[in-house]
Amino acid sequence: MATPVLEIDGLSKRFGGVAAVDGVSLSLEPGRIYGLIGPNGSGKTTLFNCITGIERRDAGRVMFNGERIDGLKPYEIARKGIGRTFQVIRVFPELSALENLLVVTRGGLADAEARALELLRFVRLEGLRNEYAGNLSYGQQKLVEFVRVLMRDPSLILLDEPAAGVNRTLLNDLLDAVRRLRDEGRTVLLVEHDMKVVMGLCETVFVLDHGEKIAEGEPGVIQTDERVIEAYFGR
Amino acid sequence: MNIAITPAMVGQVVISGILAGALYAMVALGLALIYGVMRVINIAHGPLLMLGAYTTFFLYSALGLNPYLSVPATMLVLFLVGVGLQRTLVFRVVDAPELSSLLLTFGVSIALVNLAQLAFTSDLRAVEYLTGSFPLGPFAVSKTRLVAFLFAAGVTALAFLFLQRTRLGKAIRATSQHREVAMVCGIDVQRVHLITFGLATALAAAGGALLAVIVAIQPEMGQIWTFKSFLVIVLGGAGNYPGALLGGMLLGLIEQGASLFLTTQLSEVVAYVLLVVVLLVRPTGLLGGRQT
Repeated sequence: MATPVLEIDGLSKRFGGVAAVDGVSLSLEPGRIYGLIGPNGSGKTTLFNCITGIERRDAGRVMFNGERIDGLKPYEIARKGIGRTFQVIRVFPELSALENLLVVTRGGLADAEARALELLRFVRLEGLRNEYAGNLSYGQQKLVEFVRVLMRDPSLILLDEPAAGVNRTLLNDLLDAVRRLRDEGRTVLLVEHDMKVVMGLCETVFVLDHGEKIAEGEPGVIQTDERVIEAYFGR
Repeated sequence: MNIAITPAMVGQVVISGILAGALYAMVALGLALIYGVMRVINIAHGPLLMLGAYTTFFLYSALGLNPYLSVPATMLVLFLVGVGLQRTLVFRVVDAPELSSLLLTFGVSIALVNLAQLAFTSDLRAVEYLTGSFPLGPFAVSKTRLVAFLFAAGVTALAFLFLQRTRLGKAIRATSQHREVAMVCGIDVQRVHLITFGLATALAAAGGALLAVIVAIQPEMGQIWTFKSFLVIVLGGAGNYPGALLGGMLLGLIEQGASLFLTTQLSEVVAYVLLVVVLLVRPTGLLGGRQT
């Protein structure tokens, strides 16, 4: 078995008396698409925040490509090659579409600009490169945020609800893009509420409930798991 | 009171207002940057301007450096002071409730003024350079005010160019729009904070250096500049950097305009009244504040 891209061991994060993430362990292999599901408040976004260093974990270890990254600063983790999108779109509204990509430091400015233009062309937003991102449509902002993640050639990509609020056509484009990233050897971990997306895209699914991992496996198996059904619908 | 207002008087007001406004705009841009990036209202902004004025004074009196040549030197010195303040004190209150940062910078402000009194005494100092004014048609333009305007306009333009064109400038703007996202984009936000505070302090210092040849230098000259800068960013919309330019110009014009109708003592009150009115009528500023 190859070295896991990401290996989380006993990760915990508490807010006051509440355990938002409670002893979660999981391991991601390169070149695969993973899903992270669970009811609202089950700790999915907190787990993302702990991986990217925005929240400090209280206990546990995070290894990225065999290297310990918990305790590093968010920008250091980002520069190691973990990209992330947010649940609510977060482009820089008063930066142009092009500048939104250019804030991701990567080599020289000319090099970065060439890469940014290539990515904007990839999502057909080249013509709007000088428009303030805040003036773009919802779908266009989603695309800007998505390609911004690709600026640094990340080996691990964390997507927080990529399908939320996206129309069919755009959704299919996004899903194709995610598969293409996987085929390039990158690893994708996505939080998603749309079960059709999760079942159609992910090879392995992790289920969180009250901060604990209650199940892990192929989508088909997960769907019939009793603990999962209980977590979603109650006993 | 019954005074006829002639067109020449109005012209004079407009000229003086614009000359003063550019200085307000430059100094206030510093305060706006710190607020925009860190959500900290820096009460010590004016006292840092005062330190800038003293730096220019000592470079002039001890080393004989031309006060205008000392503008960049003063900016550099105070840039470092600003970075030092951020690194030792201000970083502690960036994520704290607003009251903490207000109290901290208020404390820094008092400390700076008192240290200045201790070190420099309360004697009035002056840099005598370029005096008088030259006639421009029917108007009289103060030489020191005109040069101050040119410098302020130039420095402000450079600051905007820096924010728009350079990678660090983009990082500063990105951080002020979405700090968390800036982090996951790989921006070292703490470094951005250091540079922002340094840059903002340098802008205040440039104001102090230019004022050194215009007004008397004394330890308490700065506080009014904190207040006026605050007024300027409220006028222009907090966190809105171009708004600071508009706000500065407006304040200059309104103050000068008021001096046509009011006695000197009363026109000092105008800025305070203006702040209250803007906060009541349009608290988001004329250009609107930041989104989010």
